[in-house]
Amino acid sequence: MSRLQRYGWLSVLVVFVGSLAMAITNDDVPATIAERAYEIKANTLCPVCDGQNVLESNAPVAAAIRRQVDELIEEDRSDEEIHAYLARQYGQDVNAKPPGTGISSLVWIIPVLVAVLAVGVLSSSFKRWRSGRGKLVTDEDRELVRKLRDEP
Amino acid sequence: MGLIGASCGLIEILLALLMRKSSGFKRSLAWVVLMVAGCVIAVGAMELALLQNNFSLAYVAGNSTIETPTIYKIATLWGALEGSLLLWALLLCGYVGAAAWCFRTKINDRLVAWSLATMLAVCVFFFGLLIGPASPFDTLTSVPLDGEGLNPLLRNHPLMAIHPVMLYLGYVGFTVPFAFAVGALITGRLGEGWLVATRTWTLIAWGCLSIGILLGAWWSYEVLGWGGYWAWDPVENASFLPWLTGTAFLHSVIVQERRGMLRVWNLSLLLATFALTIFGTFLTRSGVIDSVHEFSASSIGPLFLGFFAIIVVGSVFLVGWRGDRIRSPGSIDSPFSREGTFLANNFLFALFAFVVLLGTIFPLLVEAVSNEQIAVGRPYFDRMLMPIGLALLALMSVSPMLSWRSTSVTTLAGKLLGPAACGAGTMALSIALGAHGVWPVLGLGLGGSTLGSAAHQILIGTRRHGWKGIIGRTGGGMVAHIGIALIAFGFIASTAFSEEGEFVLQPGDSASVAGHEVTFVGVEDYFDGPNRVVSAQIKVEGRGTFSPAITRYPTFGRPISTPSVATSWVDDVYLSLAAIPDEGMDRITLRVLIKPLVVWIWMGGALIGLGTLLALIPNRREISKEDSPSSEVQEAKL
Repeated sequence: MSRLQRYGWLSVLVVFVGSLAMAITNDDVPATIAERAYEIKANTLCPVCDGQNVLESNAPVAAAIRRQVDELIEEDRSDEEIHAYLARQYGQDVNAKPPGTGISSLVWIIPVLVAVLAVGVLSSSFKRWRSGRGKLVTDEDRELVRKLRDEP
Repeated sequence: MGLIGASCGLIEILLALLMRKSSGFKRSLAWVVLMVAGCVIAVGAMELALLQNNFSLAYVAGNSTIETPTIYKIATLWGALEGSLLLWALLLCGYVGAAAWCFRTKINDRLVAWSLATMLAVCVFFFGLLIGPASPFDTLTSVPLDGEGLNPLLRNHPLMAIHPVMLYLGYVGFTVPFAFAVGALITGRLGEGWLVATRTWTLIAWGCLSIGILLGAWWSYEVLGWGGYWAWDPVENASFLPWLTGTAFLHSVIVQERRGMLRVWNLSLLLATFALTIFGTFLTRSGVIDSVHEFSASSIGPLFLGFFAIIVVGSVFLVGWRGDRIRSPGSIDSPFSREGTFLANNFLFALFAFVVLLGTIFPLLVEAVSNEQIAVGRPYFDRMLMPIGLALLALMSVSPMLSWRSTSVTTLAGKLLGPAACGAGTMALSIALGAHGVWPVLGLGLGGSTLGSAAHQILIGTRRHGWKGIIGRTGGGMVAHIGIALIAFGFIASTAFSEEGEFVLQPGDSASVAGHEVTFVGVEDYFDGPNRVVSAQIKVEGRGTFSPAITRYPTFGRPISTPSVATSWVDDVYLSLAAIPDEGMDRITLRVLIKPLVVWIWMGGALIGLGTLLALIPNRREISKEDSPSSEVQEAKL
């Protein structure tokens, strides 16, 4: 690595770390009531309108849920309590985020398991490839190629 | 007219039988011509019926009206289930016809013959649907004076006329590579020959699918009024899944061409891509999943599921049967090589597709097992897919800079400095412009480095070969990478930094969101035929006057809000009316959303289209490079 490159990388690193630090500190605003309400509404699906959340939907029941969320926040309920309340009222499937408990926790766990498994398989094939290097073409292959080439 | 469709279907079955006897390959080409002709006549008849308001046909009566503008009358063909299947059949015929024409001189090759047989089997399935359970030509005994018309959401924007066609061009296009994969597996000839032949087809299908998906997003943004363009809705996911596996294939096929590796994997990707298009259609058409796209739920779901099962079982069987024979020679020497990153790319795309698939069908699985009803919505997909997406962006910035086989750390440090500097610069710039949060800023930075490395590759190409450097696969691929980076910018910025407010306004009132002042000028309240339309004039400071509207259709339950978007390069001011005001009142409830960089997403889509076109142009330079010893061996095999 030339000296120029080393300085280049150093400055890239400085800018990178600096920006990330700024990004973190900028983000560090306490959740206001409005932000909490927004977050809860965005994570609650409208029960009658096929996949839209209550923030986006114009349906009357969505408006009702929006009002309910505002009231519950004013009553000083926690986010979890509000989600649980809405699930009791309108069914578990208004909660857009599957809970991390019970059977629905699988939806979070399975992808991680699959990823770990796949990485395992990939790294083991890498090992196999590395140990098998140099034996790319066997005599059998050469024979096959020769035979096929000789065919009219 | 129905008879024509029926005869086509029958001919196909006869033909399939002929093929099995492995004689009369030439004759089958004539049957293809007849099938295409029959399908064109059927589509022509349907369009004629729509244009002439022939309400004796149930389809026309159910989906069209006398008042429907001509362009939407034409588009009504794909506005509902039966017609969209007819469009599917037409496009399928187009692809099959084109494939048969391209390979007409090689028809005596058993691989081509088997591929054609596979394509025709798919045709038989679709024609079977059209003459049986989903016939578009059912007639009514009592002819109504006027039709019922389409869902109003489907006839208020010209994008609706193009989006389904592009999407279907993508969906259907994967039939050809699928058929060739099947043909290759059956004949057991798994050299590179068939791949080179079908790569073009895959690329066309992929390009159309990309544009189709983005047009759908754009339509959703311009029409649905909720302010977004992507909701991880089951039907969106269904179109996204084949895109993911198709994209993975377009990358891994390069490894097969260059190094002769990953053959089983590539075949499986093609089979999976086609299977996912059928599965997606099943999800859309069966009504098993709640979705905003349920414009045409019907009872043909089980048939699609059965067809899907046949494809999956058949594919698994074929791969299992031929698996040994196609085990590839060669190996990947180092993870720090082009092929190493392609492997990582495929791993990530497969994982991405798996998460999307799991999230989409998980509520169904849970309900089947435990009778519980749960939803898997946007927060899940955002959380799970963000790390994968960022990793893919990181790969996109690194991979083009690596060489084949292996790259030393020193060269790597030199090559990657440029993209890394672009990335860090983008991060600093985004912070200066007010971005915040670790993940969004990191994502923007990775987008920046992707731009850097793609631009670097294009520069090298054009410096060496002039403007021709951008033509061909490498140039086209890099242009598409730039498109993806732009989409990433738009997606991240508009998701993480959007702001909104809801205001109740009287004429003359102003409101302000994130520094944008909007002023309510007045409303127009009028009747358009039987439909009551309320259109508000909103002045957006520095952008002009816009008129979001809301319409109540007597034939349709809730009022439909049509948003209006004041676009700029930097951000969109998205205006939509929240509720229809009482008659005679001029007080409105206005939702204002500020969405940064949304327009970059559409530009990115245009670049992907351009990149696809560039990649389709044959490039002499690349072709000569591909004459490596390994492909010679493969050709000898063929």
